[in-house]
Amino acid sequence: MTGAGATFAAPLYDQLGSEYKDQNGTSINYQSVGSGAGVAQFIADTVDYGASDVALKHDEVAQAQKRGTPLNIPVAFGAVTVAYNVPGINKGLKLDGPTVADIYLGDIKKWNDPALAKQNPGVKLPATNITVIHRSDGSGTTGQFTQFLVDYSPQWKKDVGTDKTVKWPVGTGARGNEGVAAAVKQTDGSIGYVELAYAVQNKFNTANVKNKAGNYVGPSLQSTSSAGDNLPNLPADLRFTAINSPNPQAYPIASATFALVYKDMCKAGKSKGEAQRTQGFLNYVLGQGQTSMREIQYASLPSGLASKAQAEASSMTCNGAALSASS
Amino acid sequence: MSALGPISTRRRLTDKTARTVVLIGAAIALIPLVLVLFYVLKRGLGAFLNVDFFTQDPSGRFLGNPGGIRSAILGTIEIVGLATIIAIPIGIGLALYLVEFGKNSLFARVVRYFVDVLSGVPSIVFGLFIYITLVVSGAISGFAGWKGSIALSLLMLPIVTRASEVVLNLVPNELREAALALGSPRWRVVARVVLPSALPGLVTGSLLAIARAAGETAPLLFTVLGAKALTLNLGDQMNSLPLQIFNDVREAQDRLVDRAWASALTLILMILILNVAARFVSRRNRFA
Amino acid sequence: MSATVTARGDDPILGRSPRDRLPDRILQWGLTGLAIAILVLIAYFFYKLIDQSTPVFQQSGVFAFVFDNDWDPSKNIYGAWPLVVGTIVTSALALLLGVPVAVAAAIYVSELCPRPLRGPLTVVIDLLAAVPSVVYGLWGVFVLIPALRPVENWIGHTLSFVPFIGLPDDQTVAGPNYFIAGLILAIMILPITSAIAREVIATVPKEHKEAALALGATRWEMIRMSIIPYARPGIVGGAMLGLGRAIGETIAVTLVIGNAPVIGKNIWDQGYTLAAVIANEFGEAASDKLHTSALLAAGLVLFVLTLVINALARAVVNRRSERRMQVGAAA
Repeated sequence: MTGAGATFAAPLYDQLGSEYKDQNGTSINYQSVGSGAGVAQFIADTVDYGASDVALKHDEVAQAQKRGTPLNIPVAFGAVTVAYNVPGINKGLKLDGPTVADIYLGDIKKWNDPALAKQNPGVKLPATNITVIHRSDGSGTTGQFTQFLVDYSPQWKKDVGTDKTVKWPVGTGARGNEGVAAAVKQTDGSIGYVELAYAVQNKFNTANVKNKAGNYVGPSLQSTSSAGDNLPNLPADLRFTAINSPNPQAYPIASATFALVYKDMCKAGKSKGEAQRTQGFLNYVLGQGQTSMREIQYASLPSGLASKAQAEASSMTCNGAALSASS
Repeated sequence: MSALGPISTRRRLTDKTARTVVLIGAAIALIPLVLVLFYVLKRGLGAFLNVDFFTQDPSGRFLGNPGGIRSAILGTIEIVGLATIIAIPIGIGLALYLVEFGKNSLFARVVRYFVDVLSGVPSIVFGLFIYITLVVSGAISGFAGWKGSIALSLLMLPIVTRASEVVLNLVPNELREAALALGSPRWRVVARVVLPSALPGLVTGSLLAIARAAGETAPLLFTVLGAKALTLNLGDQMNSLPLQIFNDVREAQDRLVDRAWASALTLILMILILNVAARFVSRRNRFA
Repeated sequence: MSATVTARGDDPILGRSPRDRLPDRILQWGLTGLAIAILVLIAYFFYKLIDQSTPVFQQSGVFAFVFDNDWDPSKNIYGAWPLVVGTIVTSALALLLGVPVAVAAAIYVSELCPRPLRGPLTVVIDLLAAVPSVVYGLWGVFVLIPALRPVENWIGHTLSFVPFIGLPDDQTVAGPNYFIAGLILAIMILPITSAIAREVIATVPKEHKEAALALGATRWEMIRMSIIPYARPGIVGGAMLGLGRAIGETIAVTLVIGNAPVIGKNIWDQGYTLAAVIANEFGEAASDKLHTSALLAAGLVLFVLTLVINALARAVVNRRSERRMQVGAAA
């Protein structure tokens, strides 16, 4: 079965897909083309499921509804780290929202800028130029990151806004989380935003970002899970964001990643077998997968959310008839 | 042209300087190829020693064994193979029409012009076209290996047609006329005289078109999309060497980048074999 | 010749029955039908391209699409000028860096090179065309960019007074930029430009060369007087064909240009090209009619550019060769 979308969640789907194949025999073919493409291909029904790190937008839901009811199923929580490659600066540089926004706006150009020095007394900051790395493809990671920036920088909100693709004022564009990670790794003095799994994999130094409660929190499994606690006002269709969580231990740039399927895949154009396989895999991800995903630094869904997600997955039908999941 | 006097020192100096500059220019032209091949060999050869590289598919596992490129190699062979089966007969047929029947008629000139124009289309636009006509259309929506093949065959068509037309034109008219004078029907002339004589040239042109198609990534991006697991079914999303390289090149993990280099070496070797075969065949061409 | 034709003896061709002529008819109409079908297919291809681009042209007009300096898909604004500039800049760099080298190589191989080296050298230069574009991109990212960064910094800071090349003292080169993209494109057009230059140089009539030499010209003077003027239109044609290739190159460029949809301040800045934007935004645009049409329009602009350049190349080559034929030289 085929899936496409978020590079943010690619390690997750690849890992769980491998496990699922070992268990079940069905191979999952996931192409990490970015959330933007994931949503678009899901709407166009060219894949079995799409993956996006931001929930479907209103107009995307409307477009999807031409083929049937879209299900927006959260599968895991991940963190968007602010990673940097600056010889001389170790892990845990303290940055707050406005500072990150200013860096990405091009207003802060050097690593030893006063704004950084103020938050990091005692850290010797070099006079290196900051090279900004961002995404060039439609990205849910961008969506989450810019959502965070919009909350803290009125100028960012006015000039750039938040979306899966934005017009970046400065910086180099790379494709996928992998591309940003590669660019950061190859460029001295660079800063980029990548999902936690990529930062850990490449042993990046990541910033401790100031959250809503005023604490500088580093990205970790724990702080990511924290972002998922006590989610207020969950809409029934589960289109939510957990960015900038008020929890004191929460990492502020963490949110859920979603799997997008049509509730009635057969009506949308897929076969019964494809629908069953898709549901089977989703059940695995929402079941056993929730434990194994921690190995790669993805936080499992908090229990309330998990049961809602499982309910959504179970509600999938084929031309009206319930699917007996082949897992 | 007025006669130039005995060679002054200044002229000799200019001559020497100019010739050195040209030599340097030629040397510069060689450097990129040497450097590219050097690095591809240096960073890619290591993986060849591991037979897993060719017998395993990319595993996709974020941690642990990244796997090999078996699905990519076989995918390339299949996708390019299908494109070849489509493009070569059509291309040669088109060239035959232009040379044997159309000649310089208005219609033939229009066809020639359109084919020429097609040869200038950037390869990504072929992928775009197939995407909007075949991938998102209702009945057969989805990515598939054969859709990539069609995009590639669009790319190959002008190359094959043009090369074949040149070669077919080189067959001396006397041969055709002699056969016709002996009472042979037209179709026999084509089948038994023209095509056999032109065969080496046709093969050369075809091999070069195949080599070109094998290296293309852009037309496959959103027609085939890609895969990791091996599938021999052209109706599925498949893997392909250029796609595999393109995916691995933007990775941060060193072992994935190493895999990109090794895949690049594999792809270059495949293309080189086709190129060498083309040269070998063309040497047996009687009329070149 | 192994054709087994039967001498039909006293049956004149015109006397053959329609049934005997049927296979010929089938062949002719079959091939003609094929030609018609391909013509229809190609026409459909262009029709579809144009048709699907119209939404974005309707929104703001063709002029605005090409010349507006604002490419912002999230706000549905599609002004492709930064992409057009990027395409032009990288292609211009490719020509500037590539054509002189290609011509020098062609001259060397044709005129100055020791005979036994001629074959191998030609093969090596032509082999550049066998390297796939994605491999050039791979090499560019991991070899060229790190290796050239210090050189680029040095040039930028030393020549800081030169527009477009100068770099302010406190800025450093990031990595991917217009220059690297132009350089890789120059390498990619080397084989085709050099091959055409070689062919054209080979058609220079021996008499012209011998005349110059007989009059006492040095080797270089002979080249300068007899070969270059004669071969110039062909070389220009070859350069334009190379330009056509460079404009449409997607994969290698998107890996080394930085993918920034703005116009850079100098050649060490990141940029974007028409082809690269299609590759990067393709997938996301699928369900957005306007975005898809914008990308198709970019493809259309790209294609029209290539068309114009190829037509110009043909015109340049043909015009001079006609004149040459009039002068009575062997073509």
